[in-house]
Amino acid sequence: MFKKILFATTASPVCDNAAKVAFDLELKWDAQLIIFHVLGIPTRGFSPFVTDVRTGQDEQMDPDYIEWVKEEMRNTYGELLKDADRVVLEAAVGVPHREILRKAREEDVDMIIMGAHTRPEDVGASRYRSVVGSTMQKVAKAARCPVVIISRPCTTCWKLFSNILVGIDFSKASKAAFLWAARLAKEVDANLHIFHALDLEITAAGHVKAQEEIEGRIAAARGKLENDYLPLLKGYEKYTVQVWEGAPYVEILKLARERQADLIVMAHHTREIDPEIALLGSTVEQVVLRSACPVASVNHPDKALDEAAI
Amino acid sequence: MPEGILCNKKPVDTVDQLQALLADKSGKQYYEEMKQLDVNGDALWATLQKTLKSRLRTWLEICAHCGMCADSCFFYLANGRDPEQVPSYKIQSTLGELVRRKGQVDNAFMHYVMDTAWSKCTCCNRCAMYCPFGIDMGVMFGYVRGLCFSQGFVPWELKIGSGMHRIYRAQMDVTTEDWVETCGWMCEEYEEDWPGLEFPVDKPNADIIYTVNAREVKHYPEDLAEAAILFHLAGENWTVPSEGWEETSLAMFAGDWEGCKKQVESVYAAMDRLKPKRMVVTECGHAYRATVIEGPFWAGLKSGRTPVESFHYVEWVAEALRTGKLKIDPSKRIKEPVTYQDSCNYIRNAGLRSCAREIMSYIAEDFREMAPCGEHNFCCGGGGGLNGIGRYREARNVGLKVKRDQILATGAKLVVSPCHNCWDAIRDMEEIYHIGIRWSFLKPLLLKMVVVPEHLRPEE
Repeated sequence: MFKKILFATTASPVCDNAAKVAFDLELKWDAQLIIFHVLGIPTRGFSPFVTDVRTGQDEQMDPDYIEWVKEEMRNTYGELLKDADRVVLEAAVGVPHREILRKAREEDVDMIIMGAHTRPEDVGASRYRSVVGSTMQKVAKAARCPVVIISRPCTTCWKLFSNILVGIDFSKASKAAFLWAARLAKEVDANLHIFHALDLEITAAGHVKAQEEIEGRIAAARGKLENDYLPLLKGYEKYTVQVWEGAPYVEILKLARERQADLIVMAHHTREIDPEIALLGSTVEQVVLRSACPVASVNHPDKALDEAAI
Repeated sequence: MPEGILCNKKPVDTVDQLQALLADKSGKQYYEEMKQLDVNGDALWATLQKTLKSRLRTWLEICAHCGMCADSCFFYLANGRDPEQVPSYKIQSTLGELVRRKGQVDNAFMHYVMDTAWSKCTCCNRCAMYCPFGIDMGVMFGYVRGLCFSQGFVPWELKIGSGMHRIYRAQMDVTTEDWVETCGWMCEEYEEDWPGLEFPVDKPNADIIYTVNAREVKHYPEDLAEAAILFHLAGENWTVPSEGWEETSLAMFAGDWEGCKKQVESVYAAMDRLKPKRMVVTECGHAYRATVIEGPFWAGLKSGRTPVESFHYVEWVAEALRTGKLKIDPSKRIKEPVTYQDSCNYIRNAGLRSCAREIMSYIAEDFREMAPCGEHNFCCGGGGGLNGIGRYREARNVGLKVKRDQILATGAKLVVSPCHNCWDAIRDMEEIYHIGIRWSFLKPLLLKMVVVPEHLRPEE
């Protein structure tokens, strides 16, 4: 399921939790792990200067500098690298989200792993108006493979995941998320919690809905899940179906807590990615920021469908 | 030492030469070698005799030293009215001296000429508008840069830049494969949100051939996608050439006349090959000047015009808004105060002032002009290659103060800046002086407010 994994890192402590999961996957799945760090943001017009992502200083790149950064990465991950044998370290100059997407495409990776938070002193935030802050968002939007975002320590080893929650909003993208989650659940023999939240904030539009109407909609959603999604499981029995009403991100987090989910899988298909408008606007970002477990964003069927006709 | 290993009179024509230069961080060894570089006075004099023609000779001679040009120069204003920053002084003490001494000058003098030509003049040509005789010191310094280049006295970054053009026909190491692959990639990334989106490469007889800046391909391919989406929404029949797509010219900034010619010829060859009705160039100022205004003369085209009619991006946008190909959602127009950075290269030097105003009338509700503006506007402070030269970073930062004060006086927090160089200069200005502004190209702004026709919207 995971042959090639791209771990996109800021090579700083905020990515430590993500690093552990990345190395864990390399070990348990015998996957190739590419540790990738984007180190300098270039200018728009002609100039050899780049802004060093770690120091915020102007730098002129040369082969030595990139080698030095790789050496730093080797030191940062020294402990973890001891047990790993299929790891490649790479560094590049560019806008982080763009270079991560470029690398993922070039290497045709099966999964991208990232940390969610950026340090307050991150240079891109002031210099490029949230470029660094929204790296995760932009990568999740455009990547052809699942993107796993890890912001807190992941206590369970990936292979031992026993509860996977998948959020469905009936979009095309969420079908891809479902297929990927189902495949993973089978592979690690986990319970799959299939979930839809009836968004009352949108449907209510200022007036309170009758309980009867809400229940009718819940039944309809449940029917849709049963008809369109469950057959795709092809007999896999370790699943539950839940439809709750409320604000989607809140309900997803509630269920994740209740079921002690090890992973939340969602689609991130929002069209609006202007960071000034939607920095924390979408459900997936709200979940990422608050979730105790890793969150996988699956947006395209490319890496979910091929073998997923399980 | 007559010729250095890195710093010498030979232009960069091979990848090995280029790599060697790039590995010399900040040009440390390069500038060391330059201190020893011999000046070939005879060759310099021969070049002067062949290329210093009547217009420039006349300008040198008729300058009355009246000083009217002084206040026109942003370097003069930003440097406490230093007399050595008066344009007339700058050109007389460099080109004037070279002619008076018949090219017999020493290394120290050539250092002075180089430093003056690249750090005290951005070739913005503003002084020509105020000289009673119309003497254009910007044009003259463009010429002086050519003399410097021929003698190997050229800033390290621009020696590299001109080499890039000679080897890759682009200002960065972007190959034809890289370029075509990037077009495909962007189409793939955006076609879901924009059904039917295409990125046609080498389509013959299109209405528009679109040319770009290599930095968009290398680092900011979203810019290409945005252009494709806007053409798509406007229903244009457009294409990009697989070769001859790079419109910029660091060779022009470097004074590499041969490199300039080679670069524009690659673009003109694409026009001849694909026979489009017209050409549109991305939001870049010097690219337009190089390929549309000066290029035909470098390439020896008798008409003085590009093989097909060529338009700057602002001309296309103004036309698309005027004819209704692109419609703006009135509720999404820019509400906050916004100003426009007039790029010297396509406003002052190509007269496109009204296009910019026309665009702003469609997209902004509180448009505020800088003072002065239009063809009288000041250079952003980073033109002519200055943004990218480490040796002159400090001098550049001082020069930015004029633009900073102009922007502050408008009260606008958003600066529309459809030129890569201006964009960078304003970004750097914010970083150095922290005045709390934002800046943007036109494409992302337009995409936020354009009406998407029903049939082009994605399902769901």
